[in-house]
Amino acid sequence: MKLAYSSKALREVFGETLVELGGNHKRLLVLDADLNTSSRTVLFKQKYPDRFIQCGIAEANLFGVAAGLAAQGYTPFPSTFAAFATRKALDQVYVNIAYPNLDVKIAGSYCGMTATECGPSHNCAEDLAVMRSLPHLKVLDPGDNRELRAMMHAMMAKPGPVYFRVSKVNAPELFGADHSFEFGRGHLLRPGNDVTLVGTGFMTAVALGAATLLDREGISAAVVHMPSIKPIDEDLLVQQARATGALVTIENHRVFGGLGGAVSEVLAREYPVHIEMLGLSDTVFEAAPLADLLRHYQLTPRAMCEKARALVQRKRRASAA
Amino acid sequence: MKHLSPDKERILAGKAFDIRRLCLEFITCAGWGHIGGSFSEAELLACLYGGVMNIEPRTVDDPSRDRFILSKAHASPALYAILALEGFISEDRLFTYCRLEGLDGHTQRGQCPGIEYSGGSLGTGLSYATGLALGLRLQENFASRVYCLIGDGECNEGQVWEAAMSAAHYRLDNLIALIDYNKVMAKGKVSDLLAIEPLAQKFASFGWSVIECDGHDLADAWRAFYQAKYLEMKGRPVAIIAHTVKGRGLPEAEFNYHWHTHAPSVAQAENFLIELNRTYERNGRFSRPLSSPKDAGLEDVVSADLNPA
Repeated sequence: MKLAYSSKALREVFGETLVELGGNHKRLLVLDADLNTSSRTVLFKQKYPDRFIQCGIAEANLFGVAAGLAAQGYTPFPSTFAAFATRKALDQVYVNIAYPNLDVKIAGSYCGMTATECGPSHNCAEDLAVMRSLPHLKVLDPGDNRELRAMMHAMMAKPGPVYFRVSKVNAPELFGADHSFEFGRGHLLRPGNDVTLVGTGFMTAVALGAATLLDREGISAAVVHMPSIKPIDEDLLVQQARATGALVTIENHRVFGGLGGAVSEVLAREYPVHIEMLGLSDTVFEAAPLADLLRHYQLTPRAMCEKARALVQRKRRASAA
Repeated sequence: MKHLSPDKERILAGKAFDIRRLCLEFITCAGWGHIGGSFSEAELLACLYGGVMNIEPRTVDDPSRDRFILSKAHASPALYAILALEGFISEDRLFTYCRLEGLDGHTQRGQCPGIEYSGGSLGTGLSYATGLALGLRLQENFASRVYCLIGDGECNEGQVWEAAMSAAHYRLDNLIALIDYNKVMAKGKVSDLLAIEPLAQKFASFGWSVIECDGHDLADAWRAFYQAKYLEMKGRPVAIIAHTVKGRGLPEAEFNYHWHTHAPSVAQAENFLIELNRTYERNGRFSRPLSSPKDAGLEDVVSADLNPA
């Protein structure tokens, strides 16, 4: 399957969709921590300067203020790098937003390895794990531009706290114009019998590439895209576990507590099968351009193909024994 | 020494110039980097490593050395450059900036000699420096001082003021905070985004001695350091508020937040070198031919595997 890649980065769609939603939702506010031209909330600032609040380089305050505004009836979108929204302001996000279940939509930009040259202080391989463990908070990682837009429309229609990932990556066009987003729903992008590859965010593009490589070797790989990590599509995971007996996950995140963790939690309980996880191991995303990072940390179609092939062999050996 | 001699001033001016020239070179080659905040701190680093601090390559692990913490760790290029100029690391190492196995975009503790602190999350350096200063005192090391360089926008962070409160409470007169007051943050002017004035009164009211200086005037900066080390009241930490210009030395970059995080093209870098030479009346040359990195993304990685050459 040959994918076209968008010439527009996900963060641009984030900024444009804020502007679009801001037209219909007069109580939508955007809060920034001195990063608006990077996150692209600058587009909203230009269109609705009165509803754009600059909080300065003060993330604990940013999320506290967002919570207060939500309690006052607004829907704030506080935005900063994923690293700062999660590692830096976790207490405010937990105590002031998640636990009282306030209507705050947290955009974590430059997620995973996509702060690239900024290095380990700005790259954030733990946001999914951290945010997934908080009460009430929904956790999302969009696969393409249309999905990000649909996701933002869906979160405006449903009050409550959400954490969603944004990046400067040019994503592949996975979905058509009619694509819709539902919390807790995943998508079977490609059927297959031997193994299921599960991706989230733009890493689903790598899973699709790996499926093509496996196909050349005669291994039939299904591909699932999981934009909603919490809640997660349990039915789809169980269905694929039954059908293929082996799953390989891939994420722009450490292999602790993210997509791989969420998938394993469901299947360990509902239908245990062979699982492998691709992501960052017990280390950090160093400073380097994106392509170098993907290759260095073995987050490529080739690497995923090799993991999947080994897993299929293990599954076959186990069933023969 | 109390006053900066004309000879010494010439040497430090040369170092400040070379910091800028080297930053221009390796930021261009990396295709990424922070020029604005590196250029605003160049004279301060030239003073610190040119005689204010008790540290040199041979004493980089000596317990009695002075410690330097770059809390505004995005401005690491100027620090890497002065470490190369002073012989802590090689100049070649600078050209690994933002490459795998190379120097990080923000400082990483222990990554190369002279880097004491992992930074990049703003507002955390002064607490770390407070811990170092407290530790030195507990160990009865009265020879070493801790210098912590903070950005002005960074003073938005509440943690800076938690640290300021602590350092005064513990009477850490072995701690000197330097504020690179270049008036511009990542996306605009400090006074527009989140005002920090009156900054001197803030530190003073937290129990610090406060000294102000022109951070680009080497003699004035030197005077401020001398005063901080020897003349201030015992039992108080000292804040030096250095008034600086973001991007100082390049007319296009001065006070221009566009150059907070931005790398020049090779052609731009060549023009910038001409401007630097004009500003500082020098005849500096690049140490090597420059090249910009190729821009590769997700699509390139996926298609390389699917369609191997």
